Amino acid sequence: MPPRLPLATQRLVVVTGKGGVGKTTVTAALARALADAGRRVVAVEVGRGGLGPLLGAPALGAEPVRIDRRLAAAAIEPEEALRDFVERVLRFRLLARRLLESTSFQVLAAAAPGLAEFLVLHRVLGWIDARRMGRPAHDVVVVDAPASGHSLPLLAAPRTLGGLARLGPVADLLARFERLLADPAATLVCVVTTAEDLAVRETIELYRELGTLGLTVAPPIVNALPPRRLAGTDAAALDHLPPAIALHPYVAAARFQHERRRHAEAQVAALRRALGVAPVRLPFLFAPSDTTEAVAALAGALGAAAGLAA
Amino acid sequence: MTLDSILATRRIVLCVGSGGVGKTTIAAALAVEAARRGRRTAVLTVDPSQRLKDALGLGATSGRARRVALGRGAHLDAILLDVKRTFDELVLALAPSPARAAAILENRLYQNLSGTLAGTAEYMAVEQVYRLAQDGGYDLLVVDTPPARHAVDFLDAPRRLARLLDSRAFAILKDPTTILPAAGSRLARALLGGVLSGLERFTGLGLVREVGDFVRVIEDLTGALRTRVAAVGDLLRSADTAPVLVTAPEPRLVSETEALARALAAIGLRIEGIVVNRALSLATFGASAPDPGPPDGVSPALATRLARSFADLRVLATRQEQTLAPLVASARAAIVAGVPLLAGDPGSLADLGTIASHLFAGDVAGAPVSPPAGSSSSASGGVRDARR
Repeated sequence: MPPRLPLATQRLVVVTGKGGVGKTTVTAALARALADAGRRVVAVEVGRGGLGPLLGAPALGAEPVRIDRRLAAAAIEPEEALRDFVERVLRFRLLARRLLESTSFQVLAAAAPGLAEFLVLHRVLGWIDARRMGRPAHDVVVVDAPASGHSLPLLAAPRTLGGLARLGPVADLLARFERLLADPAATLVCVVTTAEDLAVRETIELYRELGTLGLTVAPPIVNALPPRRLAGTDAAALDHLPPAIALHPYVAAARFQHERRRHAEAQVAALRRALGVAPVRLPFLFAPSDTTEAVAALAGALGAAAGLAA
Repeated sequence: MTLDSILATRRIVLCVGSGGVGKTTIAAALAVEAARRGRRTAVLTVDPSQRLKDALGLGATSGRARRVALGRGAHLDAILLDVKRTFDELVLALAPSPARAAAILENRLYQNLSGTLAGTAEYMAVEQVYRLAQDGGYDLLVVDTPPARHAVDFLDAPRRLARLLDSRAFAILKDPTTILPAAGSRLARALLGGVLSGLERFTGLGLVREVGDFVRVIEDLTGALRTRVAAVGDLLRSADTAPVLVTAPEPRLVSETEALARALAAIGLRIEGIVVNRALSLATFGASAPDPGPPDGVSPALATRLARSFADLRVLATRQEQTLAPLVASARAAIVAGVPLLAGDPGSLADLGTIASHLFAGDVAGAPVSPPAGSSSSASGGVRDARR
């Protein structure tokens, strides 16, 4: 049976999903799993977030920080990427700085469709192409993309901008990126969700939109699935308890966990029906979920789904 | 300030908070309650995912009010903010002549950029709130803002647009060479002009010039727009408006809330109350609550499984206590309501009514209400029926 998360040859993994579903934690865990399986990984977040601490690194910067032998991490600030890009194009630093400081240029940059996204992709492509001693410096770049509403523009940028830039170095770069994104052996998009109504609905919608971009999208990763605490007949037994103990805190807690689990299972089933594929399931963590230990626990589960040997 | 008095006396309630805390749901529940109390109420969402639409069973209508009957003669209007349409209407209202208005509306870049240019999307959302507050015929508007930092963009939009309308910024867009310090230096101007057109050639993006055209067209509106923008900003900062923070006891929200509170303060808005969503009863599950031991009369095996659930909720309640303390401190406001962690997402008006009953249950003060799971006898469908 082929692995559910095909990650054996991928050079680029883009992780997206609705805000607050644990996208960054899953990104960290995927990066960890890939590194544990022997691949040399750069984990990247767009904007400032929590990726650094999750990987046990200090604050991340524009250049990858080495975390261990196989894992490095970086953060891309679109504004900084813009500065970098303009400085490189203009070559006159003073002029570039002057231009970047003007409100108007910022307005212009914000208005240019896909420019910020293009600059992010530009950086990512740089890491994918980087070579050291005759071979690629990194095997795979894992990107924690902005939340779903904002990650589509990122993935659609080559097309959006491609319509505007037909010639020149930018057009070449865009064409190259479009090839990379379209290659199922090179790029995988992962969508993270929780087993909640709205998150599931948004995920189904996101799959529909991603489908139109011709990308390879992995089965959804359902994060923070509540545990199953009751056995088959327990719930019925609880309904027939004498009134004196029906409101006992243990019973209330059990009913509550039971309902949460049942609801989550229904959501996972709905997701499976809508997408025609079994989601990858990650457990809810009772230990704080924003730690390197939590990332290690989830990395194990993701590594198994990806068929990665540690 | 209690939620009761906010609903009774204010004209605008702004629900702010991070993504995924249930802001839209709380906004809808507050609006349902206000409408039931007899205030003419509308709930507005700017969320592009249009979640409120689902919760309120709204169709594809955007920009227009959709009336939701609440029973016993009460009703509520639900409105999805429509950026593009609001901008168009604003252009029509403010342009010096219909011909000028038409010129703007037909500009290719206006059509592409009216949504993205320097926060105009956010501004147009606030503009619509303003117009509804002025002449929508409502006593109360409950506004669901975009998540966290975007909420500040949204609320600061009037000021940012005013800054953009600054004639110097416009002048630069019309003629980028004016950014040079020595405007008289012809050589420098020529140099920059060359570089800019080089940049255009290099990127292949013919945008520098096109944005200039767009700005020249829309400059017609500057004066009228600036007056309007100032009025909108004043309304948001007035005593008529109450920002309410919606949050949940999750560690990730502590730093986000701190940043949000600071950003709100910087634009002259103060959080007036905190609604904690997905809260557990600390009296039952908190660290200092006693462990009652398993109930009598259940099998040892079941008792063990019940104990695990109880342990689960104790962990969650402890995490909640640790999370809420710094969160409340940085928001500099009191918790005015707690809503229990419902087993499922609210998907109907009845669910919103249930949430409203928790919002106004009155027993808050850091020890939010008990979980509802134990109170549900049939426990069917994960959704409780609160129709009265």
